[in-house]
Formats: sequence, C-alpha cells, structure tokens
Amino acid sequence: MSSAMLHSLLDEVESAKGPDWLKQVRVEARTRLLERGLPAARNEAWKYTPLRALESRGLRRVAADSQSVGVDPALYTLAGVDSPRLVFVDGALRRDLSDLPGVHGLAIESLGAALEGNAESLSASLGRSFDADAQVFARLNSALPGDGVVIRVAPGVKVEPLLHLVMLGNAGAADGYWQLRNVIELGEGSALRLIEHYAGGQGCTHLGNVVNQYSLKAGARLDLLQLQAAPDSMRLIRRSDAVLDADAHLEMRCVEAGAQWMRHDLAVALQGDRARLVSRGVFVLNGRQHADTRIDVSHRARDTACDLVWRGVADQRARGVFHGAITVCPGADGTDALLSNKNLLLSDQAEIDTQPVLEIHADEVKAAHGATVGQLDEKALFYLRSRGIDEAEARSLLTLAFCRIAFDSITNETLRSQLDAMLLERLPRAVLGGNAPQVAG
Amino acid sequence: MNIASAGNAAQATEAVVSPGNERIVEAMNRRYEAGFVTDIATDSLPPGLDEGVVRWISKRKGEPEWMTDWRLATYRHWLTMHSPEWAKLRIGPIDFQAISYFAAPKQGPKSLDEVDPKLLETYDKLGVPLHERAKLAGVAVDAVFDSVSVGTTFRKELAEAGVIFCSMSEAIREHPDLVRRYIGSVVPQGDNFFAALNSAVFSDGSFVFIPKGVRCPMELSTYFRINAGHTGQFERTLIIAEEGASVSYLEGCTAPMRDENQLHAAVVELVALDDASIKYSTVQNWYPGDENGVGGIYNFVTKRGDCRGARSRIIWTQVETGSAITWKYPSCVLRGDDSTGEFHSVALTHHCQQADTGTKMIHIGRNTKSKIIAKGISAGRGQNTYRGLVKVEKGAVGARNYTQCDSLLIGKRCGAHTFPYIEVKHPSAIVEHEATTSKISDEQMFYCRSRGISEEDAVSLIVDGFCKQVFRELPMEFAVEAKKLLEVSLEGAVG
Repeated sequence: MSSAMLHSLLDEVESAKGPDWLKQVRVEARTRLLERGLPAARNEAWKYTPLRALESRGLRRVAADSQSVGVDPALYTLAGVDSPRLVFVDGALRRDLSDLPGVHGLAIESLGAALEGNAESLSASLGRSFDADAQVFARLNSALPGDGVVIRVAPGVKVEPLLHLVMLGNAGAADGYWQLRNVIELGEGSALRLIEHYAGGQGCTHLGNVVNQYSLKAGARLDLLQLQAAPDSMRLIRRSDAVLDADAHLEMRCVEAGAQWMRHDLAVALQGDRARLVSRGVFVLNGRQHADTRIDVSHRARDTACDLVWRGVADQRARGVFHGAITVCPGADGTDALLSNKNLLLSDQAEIDTQPVLEIHADEVKAAHGATVGQLDEKALFYLRSRGIDEAEARSLLTLAFCRIAFDSITNETLRSQLDAMLLERLPRAVLGGNAPQVAG
Repeated sequence: MNIASAGNAAQATEAVVSPGNERIVEAMNRRYEAGFVTDIATDSLPPGLDEGVVRWISKRKGEPEWMTDWRLATYRHWLTMHSPEWAKLRIGPIDFQAISYFAAPKQGPKSLDEVDPKLLETYDKLGVPLHERAKLAGVAVDAVFDSVSVGTTFRKELAEAGVIFCSMSEAIREHPDLVRRYIGSVVPQGDNFFAALNSAVFSDGSFVFIPKGVRCPMELSTYFRINAGHTGQFERTLIIAEEGASVSYLEGCTAPMRDENQLHAAVVELVALDDASIKYSTVQNWYPGDENGVGGIYNFVTKRGDCRGARSRIIWTQVETGSAITWKYPSCVLRGDDSTGEFHSVALTHHCQQADTGTKMIHIGRNTKSKIIAKGISAGRGQNTYRGLVKVEKGAVGARNYTQCDSLLIGKRCGAHTFPYIEVKHPSAIVEHEATTSKISDEQMFYCRSRGISEEDAVSLIVDGFCKQVFRELPMEFAVEAKKLLEVSLEGAVG
C-alpha cells in the first residue's frame, strides 16, 4: 500500500512549529497515512475517482521562494467584488496582494499567526481526526504543517462587506503540492457573506489540497459562494465541513468551472434544532476534465431542513461524478430533506455517474431525492428556433439556463453576469454575439 | 410523498400496546404459521465442504464428467473469494464448514403416486396445488422438497407444446447439450461469492426450455421448501426462451420454524432470445426469525436475466416478506436492440429483519428500455435498503430508464435507505430516478378511523395501496397471496 506520492510529501516533515497537541495530531495522521496508503480503486468513496495515477507520482511542496513571483491581477479579482480581499498563492498568504480594511466584529488572521496567539481555541478544529476513507486528503492536510486563514465573526455582528478569499496555484514547478486549512467561525446570531475563489495561472500543474471548517453558532447565517475556476491543468481537492447549531442557516453555492481533476467533499452536520442548509451547485466540464462532488448531509436534530439542487454538464471526454447522501439520524423528527440532481450529457465520449443516497432512521420525516441524466428539451429548442435563433445558439442558451439555477439567486448583478460569461465560455459552440438576445433571468 | 406532522399519530405508529387491546396482543404473539417440520428420514451429507463433497454431490446426481469438472473449477475459485461486505447488512460470520451441503428424501419416488404421503401432506398444509388441485388451479408444479425434485405434473401437456420443464438434475442427464450451452452464461461461475458457492454445490432446481415460437400454455411454478435442519439450499434455475417464445414463471417459498440461521444461496439465470419474453414472479416468505432476531433464513440470491435477442423482454416481480436477511438483486442485461427489462418489487422488513435488495439494469443494445418500481416497507426494527444500478454503456443509443423507489416507515426504530447508482456513457440516454420516504400520514389514518375502520385494517389498506403498482404485475393467484402475506407480516406493527 505504499504510495510514492505520500512518501514524497510525508518523508520531509520534521521540525514544524506549533503546540504539542498539534504535533501529536500530525504524527498520528502521518502514521496512519503511511500505514494505510491511499484507498484502492475498489473503495466505495473513490469508486469513480481512482487514485492510482496520483498515487505513483512524486509531489513536492511548492517552495517558499515562489512567494515573490508576480501574479496577474486578473487571476484574483472579480468584477463587482472589492475589498476585503485575502489572497493565498501556492498555499501561503500574500499580504502584498491582499487588502484587509478593518471591519467591526470581523477578525481575520493567518493560521500561523492564530497558532502563535491563542492556539487552544483552534484545537477542536485542527485536532479533528479524519478517519474515513473519503477523508484521506483531509488527513494528509492534518499531517502536514501549512497555512490558512482563521475568520471569526463576533456574536450578533452582521458583516456588511462581501469577503473575498482567493486561493491560487501559480504557474511554476511541475508536480507541486500546496495546502490550506481554513477555519471559519460565526458567533451566535452573526452573519457573513463569503466568496471562496479557487484559481491558478495558465499551465499550473499543482495539486491543491484545501480543508475548510465552518462552525455556525445558534442563529448564525453564512452565505457562501465557492467559485472554482482553476486552469484545466491543475488538480484540486477540497473538503468543506460545516457544523450548524440551532436555527443556523448555511446558504451555499458552488460553481465548478475548472481544474483538470477535482474532488470536493461537502459534509454538513445539522446539529441544532431547525438548522437549515440550502445548497446550489453546478459543474460544467469539457476536454478530459474529471470532477467528483460528494455531499454528505446529516440531520441530527429536530425540524432540520436541507434543500440541495445540483446540475451537471459534461462534454467531450469529461467525466462528472455526483454523490449526494442525506442521513436522518434517530430522533431527528420533523426533518425535511430534498435533493435534486440533473445532468446533461453532451458527447458520446463523456460520462456522468450520479448516486443520490437516502439513509433514514426516523419516521416523522419528509425526504425525497431525484436524479436524471438526459438531454435538452426538444420542445424548448424548437420554441427558440421558431423565434429565429439558430440551433447552436439555442443550445447554448438552454444549457446556460440549466446551469444558472446554481447562482441565479445572487443579487450582485455584476458578479452574476461574470459567472454567466465564465460558464458560457466552457459550453460548446458558445456563439452569443453582441446582437444576441439577453439570457432570460 | 407525504408530510409527517408531529402529534398523536406518533403514538399511533409506535409499537405500544394499550391494555384492552387483546386482539393485537394476540396478533403480535402469533407464531409463524408455516412453521412445522415434516419428519422424514433424509439422506444427508455430514456438515463440511471440500472437493470430496463437491464430487459426492455430482456423483450422487449421476452427472457427466464435464459437470463435475465445472463444479470443481468453481469450487477452487470460490476458495479464493471473500464474502461481500458492501451491503448495508449486519451478518454474523457464517461457518461454511458447519453446513450440510446435501439432503434428499430417502425414498426415490418415480411418480407422484409413489411420493411419501407425508411429503404431500406438507404441500397440502402449504396449499400447493399438486394432484387434482394442480389441475384445478391450472398450474404446473415442479415441487422441490429440500434438494431433489419429487414430482412434476402437467409434464405431458407441456411436452405436447414442446416445452421442457423439469428438475435441473434431470435436465443435466437428458438435455446435456442445452444445459451445457446456457448454464453459467448469464451468471458466470465466479460472478460473486455466493453465486460461486452455488455453482460448486448446487443440489437441484428447475430447468425450463421454451422452443422457438411457443407460448407456454400455462404458468409454471416451483414451490421451494427448506425442510431438513442445518441444510443450506442451493437451488439453480435456468430458463431459456427461444426466438418468439414466452413464459411466465412463479416461485414461492415458505420454510418451517427453526432456530439456527439457514443459508440459502440460489442462482437464477434467464435467457431471452429474439422477441422472447420471460416473466419471473417471486413471493418469498421464508422464516424471518422471531421478534428478537433469533433464527431465520439468510437469503443470498443471484438472479439475472439476459435479454440476448432483439426486442426481448424480461420482467422480474418480487414480494419479499420473509428471511432474516435478504441480499438479492434480480438484474437485466439488455444486450439485444430494443429489449426491455422491468423490475417490480415490494420488500417488507419487520422485527429484526434486514433487506438489501434492488436491481441492476445494464443497457448495452440500442433503444433499450428499463423500468424499476421498488416499494420498501419497514416496521419494528427492520432495516430496508434499496440498492440499484442503472448503467448505460457507450453503444446504448436511445436508452431509457425510469426508476421509482418509495419507502414507508412504520415505527420509530426502523430504517429505510436508498442507494441508487446511475452511470451514463451515452448522450442520447434518458435516465430518471426518484425516491421518497414517508410514514403513514395522520390524515390517512384519521380518515380511515373516522369511517369505522380499525387501526390494523387501516394500515393494511394503506400498505396495500402503497404496493398496488407492484401487485398489479403479479399473476392473479400470487397477487392474492402477496396481499395476505403483507397483512400477516405486518401484524403487530401498529398498536
């Protein structure tokens, strides 16, 4: 089970700073990784995303001296989104690119700085052991020292500005590895709007490994947009773990529009009564892209709700994988759970694998899921053509409309049209010219 | 799908018995009705499994050498395999050396008249329509008592139509070419752990061959019955429908009450050539164990149909109410262009029963269609899992699938789970999957109760409505039996 990739990364871990408990966590994670290696192809959690190709590769952590390299501002800016902005390049904070005006009630510091301060307050987040096979890369993240950000919102504070967190892989050494660990804590009754923006320089072949841990205290609300627009040469693994207390609300949108190979594990625990998760997502793949999204929602308290709507488009030789599991634990009465996953398959070389899962252990429950794989509605296509829109354009329009459910509730119009443009670029025969009709909202 | 609101009904669905409710107490304590053991001396093998046992079984059944070799090769392969662990089931370790792999009634009957009257009595108790009753019911029965076929009725009428309906042992002796051509062609010897075990030690089963253009004149039926203790049943069924042929096959099971877990690992293979159609219906009512989960049958079955020819059609219908553990995925390989596969299922788990069941639809040919309707009912501490795969291969132009899985929960401690796998590799395919989970709604109960319908009757009425889509697919006699079975199985689920 020995893996060249794990050895190449883990063999050099020594002498990292940090409190003793953290060193202990690293040692344990490292030992377990070297013992067990990466999960084999038969493993359920990696059934559609085999790790064999990755396993045999030697990876090197991106050297610290790459930090001075210039970065194209186009990579880390988004129209309609200004400061505060926090930019990480190759796993390290770039203060020169970040812009952090002080905001009342919002504390932002790098993980390194936070560990030098009150490290104990992070022990619950950083001390978490990731034992399941699906969590093997989070375990790798725990085994290695690395940077990240700690964001804390004070109780009762509703942060007004939209926070832009950028995680970049810059072009540079081949087979580079970088990682980030972000801890985001919302105090009671607080609110935050956050954009997590994953990107990279053209031709960047890094493997990025990001673990995000969100904790929403009672009545808190987090509006989160994860925009993944990494170049088609990059590989990206990320895990988003959220724990919601009573009446907390997580509104999450994911747009997967990049990376050659990517895996996203989204695990949400609805721990308090009436906690609520709304999740919208879309992936648009072409070329030889591979995207695997694995959602795991666990209802652990009464009257909790989740509403998951995901869309997928795969063209050329791409492969899209979706796994959406909803678990209703014993006693979680009054749960209302809904999952819808629809996919468009545009080429006979592409593949979609979808697996909606329900595990129900309580009876006062309303739970449903639906999944489809198919093509555009011929009638809708005919309608557009009868209005004088040529076929290619009609297809683009309908496909965009299909994807848009992931973000059409975003109120920031500039941002929304930028997302539109980003997806259109990836859709086949995107021929929307200047005189084309506007996309219906 | 319905909305469950908290309130009085929570109590209604709890398995709590109020003091004055004697009828329900009685129903809850009712013993398994088909639980009796017929006392017949059996010529069994001592427990244990090795190459000698495989050879002994093959020799005992007078099989040709190729069959013995086939079994041995499988046995050797089986030794390298591991029991599957992916199902959502809690299975205690199974000691394969503690099982006796062969039990046959001692007197070798040559015709029905020679059949041990006690044996016939057993069928009588179960209501198997043998003899005159068979004629009246219009059903040909190939009754399997433990592992050897005892009698086959309606042989003549079927022979006139050219249909071969006999036991597997007989088929191996009398139609070796047919058996050799088709056996293992749908479920390969090493397909999975339990199928491999079956291939090595299968004792008997049914063989059906419908020649070209023949519509089988009657519904064929096998009544399985596990009788001797400690004996695993390893049935092997092979049904072949040639070009344009059609057949409807019924399988039903009951077993006597027993304390140890009994292993049952059957293999069913269906082959449908051009324009052929096979309908395979099952009512499974094996001993589920008692209310504490002691005893009961382990039912690990591999069923697969191969729509080999163009425009062929295979329909699986199952009503699973028995067994302590059910592990069963009747599947269709849609190889022929324009072929159709269907799966209709009702699975009920009560007390400590566990079921992990579903289907696989593999679309390979062009314009292939499949439909899956699965209804799961969980009561008591029962765990019910639907697990299904819909796979559209690269060449399956115009493939179409519709899947609907509904779960009904009765009580607070049961579980209902859905694990569908959808894999699509062709852009012209349309695959749809829907699943819902709910409990019997307060409104439904209130409506029935206000009309003077008792709680138990109301539940069975609602459950019957829930399952109607599947029952409709069953042959008439089976539909009646299935409905009754559900009622009996759900007794004590509400109070």
